[in-house]
Amino acid sequence: MPDLSKMKKPDVKVVLLGDMNVGKTSLLHRYMERKFKDTVSTVGGAFFLKQWGPYNISIWDTAGREQFHGLGSMYCRGAAAVILTYDVTNWQSLAEIEERFLSLTDTANHDCIYALVGNKADLTDPKVHLSQDADGQTKDPTGGDEERTEPQVLSAVPTPPASPTSFSGLVLHKQVTRDDALSLYERILRYKGLDEKSSLPADKMCFETSAKTGYNVDVLFETLFDLVLPSILRKRHENRESPTVDLEDSGGVGSKRARSSCC
Amino acid sequence: MEEDNHQDGEAQEVKISDSQPESIPPADILLGNHECPEPVEGNHSTADDRNQSVDSQPSHVGAEESGLDADVPPHLGAKLEPEETKDSDCLNNMSTHLDGTETEVRVTDNDQSDSGEFVVTMLAKAKLEEQGIGVKGRPSPLLEAGIQESPSFKSQRDEDVTTDSWRQHRKHVFVLSEAGKPIYSRYGSEEALSSTMGVMMALVSFVQSGDNLIRSVYSEEHTVVFLQKGPLVLVCVSSSRQSEQQLLGELLYVYYQIISMLTQASISRIFEHKKNYDLRRLLAGSEKILDGLLNLVDSDPSFLLAAVHCLPLASSLRDSLSQILQKAITPNLVFSILIAKNQLLTIVQEKTVIEDARLEPADVHLLLNLIGASSAFQAGEIWTPICLPLFNPDCYFYAYISYLDPPECTVCLLLLSTDKEAFYAVAECKRKIEEAMLTQNSLSLIAKAQLYSVNQVGVSDLRHFMYKPFDVPDNYRQLTQFTSPEMEAPYSNEEEKMRLLDLYRYMHSRIHSTSRPLKLIYHVAEKETLLAWVTSKFELYTCFSPLVTKTCAITAITKLLRWIKKEEDRLFIRYPPKYSTTPNPSKSSKSSKSEQQDSTDNGYLSPL
Repeated sequence: MPDLSKMKKPDVKVVLLGDMNVGKTSLLHRYMERKFKDTVSTVGGAFFLKQWGPYNISIWDTAGREQFHGLGSMYCRGAAAVILTYDVTNWQSLAEIEERFLSLTDTANHDCIYALVGNKADLTDPKVHLSQDADGQTKDPTGGDEERTEPQVLSAVPTPPASPTSFSGLVLHKQVTRDDALSLYERILRYKGLDEKSSLPADKMCFETSAKTGYNVDVLFETLFDLVLPSILRKRHENRESPTVDLEDSGGVGSKRARSSCC
Repeated sequence: MEEDNHQDGEAQEVKISDSQPESIPPADILLGNHECPEPVEGNHSTADDRNQSVDSQPSHVGAEESGLDADVPPHLGAKLEPEETKDSDCLNNMSTHLDGTETEVRVTDNDQSDSGEFVVTMLAKAKLEEQGIGVKGRPSPLLEAGIQESPSFKSQRDEDVTTDSWRQHRKHVFVLSEAGKPIYSRYGSEEALSSTMGVMMALVSFVQSGDNLIRSVYSEEHTVVFLQKGPLVLVCVSSSRQSEQQLLGELLYVYYQIISMLTQASISRIFEHKKNYDLRRLLAGSEKILDGLLNLVDSDPSFLLAAVHCLPLASSLRDSLSQILQKAITPNLVFSILIAKNQLLTIVQEKTVIEDARLEPADVHLLLNLIGASSAFQAGEIWTPICLPLFNPDCYFYAYISYLDPPECTVCLLLLSTDKEAFYAVAECKRKIEEAMLTQNSLSLIAKAQLYSVNQVGVSDLRHFMYKPFDVPDNYRQLTQFTSPEMEAPYSNEEEKMRLLDLYRYMHSRIHSTSRPLKLIYHVAEKETLLAWVTSKFELYTCFSPLVTKTCAITAITKLLRWIKKEEDRLFIRYPPKYSTTPNPSKSSKSSKSEQQDSTDNGYLSPL
C-alpha cells in the first residue's frame, strides 16, 4: 500500500495520563477493540491511530508508573486533548493527577482540552452494571468477565484466577465523589491560567466511566474527538498554508514575511 | 562471574567435608552417572579430535564401563552408587585443597544445628510471625500510591506466604535493598515477606561485618544463593538442584532486568540519596516482567547457554528481511530486530556502534522478555526507554515495538534508537518495513518458518540436542547463538520438558564446574542417555534414547555435527548485517533516502 504512510498521518494528538492501575489501557482497549481484558502494566507509551471521520487521531496511552515519568512531557508535546484518569475507588489516584501529571501537560497545546475521568465506576455503582445493556456496547458482559480473569500468558506457573463472582458482587467504597472531580477540574483550569467562563464547563468535562462494562467510554472519547475538531481544522489549514508559502507564493507572502521579520 | 574456589581455613570457615555428598543431586538424577573417568579425559588436550577423544575414553572407564553399556538402567543406580560416593570424595578433596585467596566465604554447612538449617528455620519463623500482621488493612505509603491492585491482578503476588504450598515452590527469588527493604518476591507479596527479607539482610550484614561476603547456604533440600550488586541484594532459594553458578547466573539476569528498566546509574543515585528508599515505587508494575523473566529462565535453555536462539529460516529469506531492515533507517537508529514467535529472525546493527561494543545475548534475552511481558495490547506502537545493561548499564535506548501482523501478533519489529524524540521518525521506518514486507510477501513466508524436528537430522537414537558454536575469528563480535530442535515426545509435556532441561542443567553444571571443569560427559540417566561435549569450537548437549551404546552415540554426534554444518546457513544468522545511520556527509547518501533528515542530530550516540 503506497498510500499507507500518507493515510496514517495523524491530525491531532490525544494523551491519556494518570496513575498506574487506574485503567488507562483498559479504557482505550474498550474503546478501540470493544473488549475488556486483563492488561499488563504499560511500558513507556503506546501509540494508536483512530480514524475519526476523515481525520486521524493519534492517541498516546502512557504508562502510569513513576518509572516512566520522565517521558511524560514528550508524549504530551503538542497534544490537543489530555485525558486525566483516576480510579474512583482510590483517592490517591486523584491526588496523583495534581501532584505528578498536571505539570507534564505544560508541553501540550495552549488551547489543549482537559478531561477528567474517573474509571472503575462499576466497582462502586451498581447502576453502571445495569447501564451496560442500555448502552449496547457490551453485548456479552460475561465474556468480558472471562477475559478479565484470563491468566497471564507468560506464567508457566498456574495462577489462581481471580474469582469473577466474588468480584462483581463486591461494591467498593467510592473514594472520589463527583464533586471532588469537579473541584479538581476547576483547579486544573486555574493552573493552566484558563478562564473558567470561556473554557469548557467542568460538568461537561468530568466523566465517570467503566472500561469493564463500557459505561460512558464511547461518550468520553467521542465528546473529546468532537471537541478537538476545530484544532484539527486549524492545523490542516496551517498545513495547507505553509507549503504554499514555501514553494509557490515565495514572492508574495514570503517577502511580506521576510519584511516583517526584519523589523 | 567470580571464581568459585571453595574456601576453607578463614575466620568464618564452616565445615565443608560433610556437606558435599548432600549437595550432589540424588541418585535418581545421577543414576548411572560415572564421572571419575571424565576429568582425566578432560585433561587430555585431544578433545578437538572427536575420534581420538572418544576412543580414549573407554580405556579410562575400564570394566565397569562395558558393563554399563550392556546393562539396563535399573541396575545402574545400585551399581554406581559407590562410585558416586567416590566421586563426591574426589570433589571434597578438590574443594578442600583449593585454597581460596579471596575474602569471600561460602557458608557451606549441613550441620542441622548450624547455618543451613538455621537459615531455613529462621526464614520459616519470620514468615509465621507475619501471619497476624494483616498486610491488606495496613495503610502504607505504597498502597496509597495506588499499588492496591484490582482483583484482576490477582496472581502469584497474592499468594499466602504462610502456606506449605508457598514454601514448596521450586525456586524463590527475592530482591531487597541494602537497608533490608523488600523490592521483589517471585511468589507472595513483598510486604508480607518484609521480616523474611529482614532475616536475609541480617545474614548478609552479619557475614559482611566480618569483612566477608555470604555466597550460598546449603541445606538438605535447598540451596540459598546470595548476590550483592550495588545497593541491591538478590537471594535465590532453590530446591532445583542447580549449581550455585547457575543460580547466581539467574540472579544476575534478574538484576539486569531491573537495570534494564531503571539503569544502574539511577539506582545508585537513588540509594545514595536515600538509603531506605522503597524501590517498588519505581518498579511497581514491572513485577510481571520479572515474573516472566523467571519463568523463561526456568523453561528456556537460552539463558543457561547464554546464547540466542534464532528461528530456522532459508538464508535467502533471512537475507531479504535483513535488506528490508537495512533500507529503513533514520538517524540515531542503532539496532533493528525482527522477531517471530519469540525467536530472532534477523538483527541489523549500526556499524559504528557495533564496532564499539558487541550486543550480548543477555541483552537480547531481556528485550525478548520485555516484548513477551508487555504485549497485552498489541495493536499499538510502543515507545519506551530501555537500558541494555551489558551494552551500557547507565544509559537508555529508546525502543520502538510494534507487531507487523495484527491480530495474530507473532511477528514483532523492534527498533532501538538513541534519540528519545525519534518516535515518529522510527515509526516511519516501520511503515517502510511494512510496505517492503508486503510487496515481498514476507509475512506469509515467515509464518511458514518453524522449529525443526530432530528427525531431520536422521539419527534414530537422537532425541534432542543443543548446539552452541563459539566465536570464530571471521565473525568476531557476532551474537552468540545456539540451535536446538523442537522438544518432541517423550518431552512433549511440561513436566518432561522440565526434566530434560534439568538434566541439561546438570550436564552444564558439570561441564562448567569452576572447581573441576569437564570436557566430555557421558551420562546414563534413568530414562535417557546424555552426552555433553565442549571443545574450543562449540558446546554440545545431546540426549539419546536410554539404550544407545557409547559407540552409537559417538557416531550419532559425528553425523549431527555434519548435519549442522550443512544446515548452518538456515539455523544461524551467519553474517549479521549492518547499516550506517551516521549523519556524516560521506555516508549520508544512504540515510537521506529515509527522508528523516529533519530529525535532529544532537544527542547522536550521546548515551554511548
